Amino acid sequence: MARAARERSEQERGNGVADKGESTMSTQPAHGDATIAVSDELAARDDMIVCSDVDKWFGDFQALSGITATIKEQEIVVVLGPSGSGKSTWIRCINRLEAHQSGQIIVDGIELTNDLRNIEKIRSEVGMVFQQFNLFPHLTVMDNITLAPIWVRRKSRPEAEELAESLLERVGIPEQAQKFPGQLSGGQQQRVAIARALAMEPRVMLFDEPTSALDPEMIKEVLDVMEELARSGMTMMVVTHEMGFAREVADRIIFMEDGEIVEVGTPHHFFTEPAEERTKLFLSQVL
Amino acid sequence: MTDPLPPAAPTALAAEPVGPTVSPPDRPSLPPGRWIRENLFPNARNSILTIFAILVALFAYRGLLNFTFSEERSWIAVRTNLRLMFTQAYPEHQYVRVWVAVGLVLVLAGLSAGIWARWGGVTLKRLMGWLMSGGGLVAVGVLIREPSVLTDAAGESVRDDAGELVRESFAAAMADRWVWWAVALVLFGIGLALWLRFEDLARRTIEIPVAWLVFGLPGLLVASTWVIRYGHYAFADGEFIAEPGELVAMSTRVPWTVMWLLLIGCYGIGRVARNRAIASAQAAAETSDDAEAAGDGVAGEGAPELPRGALAKTRTVVNLAWVLSPFFLYWVVMRDPEIDYAHVFSTMLPMGLAFGVAGSAVLWWLTRSDAGEVGRLAAIGLLLLAAFHWVAAFFGWYSMLQVARIAFLLLAVAGLLAPNFAGVAAQRRRLVGAWLFVVLLVFYGATVINAPSTIETPTDMFIGGFSVTLLVSVLTIMLSFPIGVLLALARTSRQPIFRVLSTVYIEVIRGVPLITLLLFFSGVLPLFLPDGMEIAELAAAILGYTLFSAAYLAENVRGGLQSIRRGQYEAADAVGLTTTQRTGFIILPQSLRVSIPPLVGQVIATFKETSLLAIIGLFDFLRMANSVIPNQSQFLGVRREGLLFISVVYWVVSFAMSKYSQRLEQRVGLGQR
Ligand SMILES: Nc1ncnc2c1ncn2[C@@H]1O[C@H](COP(=O)(O)OP(=O)(O)O)[C@@H](O)[C@H]1O
Ligand SMILES: [Mg+2]
Repeated sequence: MARAARERSEQERGNGVADKGESTMSTQPAHGDATIAVSDELAARDDMIVCSDVDKWFGDFQALSGITATIKEQEIVVVLGPSGSGKSTWIRCINRLEAHQSGQIIVDGIELTNDLRNIEKIRSEVGMVFQQFNLFPHLTVMDNITLAPIWVRRKSRPEAEELAESLLERVGIPEQAQKFPGQLSGGQQQRVAIARALAMEPRVMLFDEPTSALDPEMIKEVLDVMEELARSGMTMMVVTHEMGFAREVADRIIFMEDGEIVEVGTPHHFFTEPAEERTKLFLSQVL
Repeated sequence: MTDPLPPAAPTALAAEPVGPTVSPPDRPSLPPGRWIRENLFPNARNSILTIFAILVALFAYRGLLNFTFSEERSWIAVRTNLRLMFTQAYPEHQYVRVWVAVGLVLVLAGLSAGIWARWGGVTLKRLMGWLMSGGGLVAVGVLIREPSVLTDAAGESVRDDAGELVRESFAAAMADRWVWWAVALVLFGIGLALWLRFEDLARRTIEIPVAWLVFGLPGLLVASTWVIRYGHYAFADGEFIAEPGELVAMSTRVPWTVMWLLLIGCYGIGRVARNRAIASAQAAAETSDDAEAAGDGVAGEGAPELPRGALAKTRTVVNLAWVLSPFFLYWVVMRDPEIDYAHVFSTMLPMGLAFGVAGSAVLWWLTRSDAGEVGRLAAIGLLLLAAFHWVAAFFGWYSMLQVARIAFLLLAVAGLLAPNFAGVAAQRRRLVGAWLFVVLLVFYGATVINAPSTIETPTDMFIGGFSVTLLVSVLTIMLSFPIGVLLALARTSRQPIFRVLSTVYIEVIRGVPLITLLLFFSGVLPLFLPDGMEIAELAAAILGYTLFSAAYLAENVRGGLQSIRRGQYEAADAVGLTTTQRTGFIILPQSLRVSIPPLVGQVIATFKETSLLAIIGLFDFLRMANSVIPNQSQFLGVRREGLLFISVVYWVVSFAMSKYSQRLEQRVGLGQR
């Protein structure tokens, strides 16, 4: 089943995946040393997330400085960087779990401001998967998934449950619907968390180190689900340390350090000919 | 004390448990001799401590027995005044009202137990232990109690020349107590017989359903009223004087039997409904493709969990009935209000209709999918209007029925909640339906409360004793709970105003002795109220208790709130829940679970603190024992018996609550790990 879907979506996406890493780079200047590289095919698509000159401080400490990046529809962006470089902070700014202090973030045409209505709208457009799963421990898997569709999307319960069942099928654990999160393994929990986010039928999915809290043998089951999701045409922004995933699945890789975007490029460019010294240093440490 | 039922321990993070869960191997139980040696006398120091502790326990036990069975005790005072202590001087010819009230509570209790309870069983081994140790305890008691005082033909205690009481010989005492020996023997004998019958370990794990014990023991008690004459006299109408008359046991055995039958009957009905629901859920699961999906939610426990959503309507109705029952039983059943129908038809009915219709229209409008910002503003406007009516009432600007002010306030609250029901037709209808129900309740309640009672008693209050204690506890707990939760939320809120107000309130209340609050509300507050606003003594007391208890509950809930990890808030935000939804669905349910032990502790404390009612002049349980009985001409100065008796009743209720909370903890703990 999964394979068939993969092949189908691969055809639908056409060249986007096949061309990865080989197409010509169109560059545009950005803040600092960062260079935003987008293939022609990608550049032609609509913008999904636009960040321009985003700054974020925690007290006196500047966690993000001048983040400028555009993520296109159906694009898979992997964000890499050493710990403490601001990856989580950035991704959390995109659905306003953190508020940025200057600059502009526009998601699917809606600018993130303090206006509550915009925040509500964006949160139902943007799904988020956390490192620590953050499932609701007092609710069954089914209730975890259906809660928001029922109360935010205003679906009827049967409708929401049908959706939840199909999502659980998609992430490969249809038989766990009536269990509580505490009764599941870490990998299963993270897959439930993905299903919960998908149940809102978001346009964008954000992943903040989704496999970092997992035992090695469970990492693959989660990555498989994410890969399937990527091939189905979801726009995804993924913070991860899984270099294999970055190499195989990403359309672009953004490398961050000290709250800045250091380098942007296709996986091919990134892993074979990184331009920046800091990127090379990072890669030499993790590879 | 451990609970009979071990917690169903779902092994954390066990990946997909397959098939029936395997129970851990039985720890081989030690033979009693070895157990005693290893646990009580493992070395010299512990042996000394053990012996010392046993001596202290025996000494206390002996003292209690000597006190209880002393010739100086006149237990007849308690027996005679049983009815007084529980219902004060409720008129005899209206007494059926009391039975109706008790009956309704038992109906609800039976239904709830039938539908919800997953009691499991007590192992036969444990039961044998109880029986044998019970028999042993009785036997020890018979042995250590001092011999009785001799009495002469006139029934007077015999004294020797020095004026000391003359006691019978030890042998005679033992012989006199043959009934107790028999009791001890029977208890021990049954235990021993079971022991021998089920010698092998495997069969000793046979379980007796707890339900049998829970209903069987009261059943035995009720049955015994047909044989044993417990009570002495009943009270003649409204008089505080014990008169010879019908024996209490005789006059109550029929009602008590009916009550017991109601209880088990409703339990049976609840059980049948539950079993049906479970069976149909299983059948549904078997026919559907994923047979595993339903039913195995919590594997490894005897009684299956009630499937989600099953009997939803019945459960809602039963819960609602529980919430409404104290009010209904007190104001309608026990109080027997005399309703002024002219007023009802001229004022209450038209007004209620107006609120019902207009309120529904407003709510329907507020829940349009495009009500948006205008809707929110309108709801806030409603709230301001409602608040204004109260301010106006305080300064006496214009007159308005209190019920109308309350209705305005409730409408404003419903208006604020409206966005949560917006859009979907079914949800909108549900909100409007709830509103109509609330209007009905409020206007009916106001009518009933304002009607004078027809029950005539010698005191102002038509109930007293344990029933007042119970009423005040239940109402206090029900009213202070939501206030406490709101205070806790306010204290942890991001709004500084809420935070400051709540903190100040909590700290002030916690720094004031409860009794001053009670005195303030019952004595001082009425002086400050504007003309025309009165506050009944009982209502004042409940208000005082509620405000006090709410502050403590708030602190307990706050502890729970702080234990919720930030990730829960973030996850709720990330899926787009509003702050209200996040609080109601995610944060509160989890934090209340965490705070069950302190919350129940507070509930028990409130129950016991109602004994302060005596100080502000109400006839509560304590006052009956402490001052009413000792002032009766037959029982002048008889106080300790009553105090011991009410202590036992207080203890039984408190202990039951604490047991219940332990079970509740285990049960809700299930999904948590
Ligand atoms: N709530 C916070 N308050 C103060 N500092 C924070 C907070 N969250 C993150 N930081 C700081 O911001 C920097 C970036 O953190 P983060 O985005 O979590 O990094 P990454 O996810 O790349 O490891 C770190 O130095 C971290 O200490
Ligand atoms: Mg991080």
